[in-house]
Amino acid sequence: MTQQHEKLSAFMDGELNESEFVDTIKNDSELLAKWRSYHVIRSGLRKEASVMPEFDITAQVAAALDNEATVLAPRSKWKSLPVIGKIVPLVRQSGQFAVAASVAAAVILGVQQANLPAPEEPFTTYQTFGIPQAGMAPVSLEQSNIVGNMQSVDNDTKLQKRRQINALIADHEQQLKLKQAEEQSKQLMDPEANQP
Amino acid sequence: MKTLTMRFIKQRTALAVRLLFVAGLLVVNPAAAVSQQSDSDKESSEPSADSPGNPADSDATERLSLNGLEWLQRLADANRQSNFEVSFVLTRPGQEVIPYLWRHAVLENGLEAEQLNLQNGPGQEMIRLGNVVSVFEPDVQPYSIYADAITGPLPSDLLYEPEALVDAYQFITIGRTRVSGRPAQQLRIVSRDNKRYNYQLWLDEETGMLLKLNMVDLQGALLEQVQVTGLKISLEPAPYFAKINPQALPSAVAMTPKTRQHQWEVQFMPVGMEEIKRETRRLAMTGQVVEYKLFSDGMVDVSVYVQPAQDSLDSDVVLRHSTNTFLSLTTGQIQITVIGKVPPATAYEIAHSLRAVGT
Repeated sequence: MTQQHEKLSAFMDGELNESEFVDTIKNDSELLAKWRSYHVIRSGLRKEASVMPEFDITAQVAAALDNEATVLAPRSKWKSLPVIGKIVPLVRQSGQFAVAASVAAAVILGVQQANLPAPEEPFTTYQTFGIPQAGMAPVSLEQSNIVGNMQSVDNDTKLQKRRQINALIADHEQQLKLKQAEEQSKQLMDPEANQP
Repeated sequence: MKTLTMRFIKQRTALAVRLLFVAGLLVVNPAAAVSQQSDSDKESSEPSADSPGNPADSDATERLSLNGLEWLQRLADANRQSNFEVSFVLTRPGQEVIPYLWRHAVLENGLEAEQLNLQNGPGQEMIRLGNVVSVFEPDVQPYSIYADAITGPLPSDLLYEPEALVDAYQFITIGRTRVSGRPAQQLRIVSRDNKRYNYQLWLDEETGMLLKLNMVDLQGALLEQVQVTGLKISLEPAPYFAKINPQALPSAVAMTPKTRQHQWEVQFMPVGMEEIKRETRRLAMTGQVVEYKLFSDGMVDVSVYVQPAQDSLDSDVVLRHSTNTFLSLTTGQIQITVIGKVPPATAYEIAHSLRAVGT
């Protein structure tokens, strides 16, 4: 068996020229699993991760559930009934499939959430700043109020100033846009001026 | 004896010559092969680029002898007469690149059509048919005005009427370079009095089209750059223009500014800058009443605002808004504001040259 594994490893590296080894892998489920996990590892190492390793978990979960299902004793009664006995395994299987699928979905969701950038919460951070710390409350609170008021007065004039500057710049841009139009209109209104 | 030595010498020289010849072949051959190849390249490509009856060489020598103004006239001709599609980007240091698409065509009925489209964001589309420009902008009702050029990042006098710039600027040819993958002619546009920003300009040798335009300050630092990234010239107008329905465009509004007499004059202006407008108006954003004069030299425009000092900014301000210099100062009863693409020193000089007249 270890010889087979070595062969598999060599085959993956492209060092084995036996094309019939492909069939050996296909027919051997253990080798097939190894083949898959090697590829997952390799793509993981190369940071390609095109293969979702989670699907291996689903297989395991499904297998585990499959094993566990037999422990649910009371329902085994149904098996004694001729018709239902045949249907139940089917139902049970599909149920397991659903469970397995949902586990897979949860895993993927988990990965996506983990990859999301940390949500920003400006509101909460703002509040922690605003809450006065015990001990330095009265003085610093007053001071910060004064500073705040001064700042707001300052901000008002600054805003006012900025508004005026913006108004002038906007007007300048507007004039440039209309410059040509007005020259042309003048010529159109006064056809004599148009003639040389 | 003598003949023998002679023979020996002859043999040696012959050998030496042969050796030299071989060495020379080895050294020369690669270069010769390359030059031959490039010759054949030229031969194969030139007839396709130029009309077959017209030898490309004479064209090239003609081009070499063109002076600055003639290059710009070539540019104007190309801009007015050819069907082209140009992609270019506008860059200002430290700011995002702004991409534009610019199309021009001469339609079957002889009418000029032009389109300038801002490619990023919600965009802005300007369409010109003849002398009517329609503007489509987000948040603004579409409108049309009379104008024979679209007001874009490129000064329209530079594109269409270089003669109008002669009073204020001189044009200097620098030499040949390569821009946007094409052989180009480099020019400089220098203000005659050194009071304004200067320009570097690259024009396509083959078509005369603009490939690159730099605006630099007096120290040579780059302020603004237009770089063409794609240039397509075709015989037929672009299919885009066939889709324009002239009836669907907003009808043009004539604008006749009411000229008002002011009680002040600007004494100093850079060479070639002329007053093109004066009026009294309310600012749209704040409702303040201002007296206004607009000056232009074809490349840049300078606005001068005068308003009562009581609703002025309480201190003097100099700042740069993109490439515009904004300078505002208060003297006595009035606040003077100068805005335009001129160096701050020039704006200062203009603002300080205001004199009261007429009273």
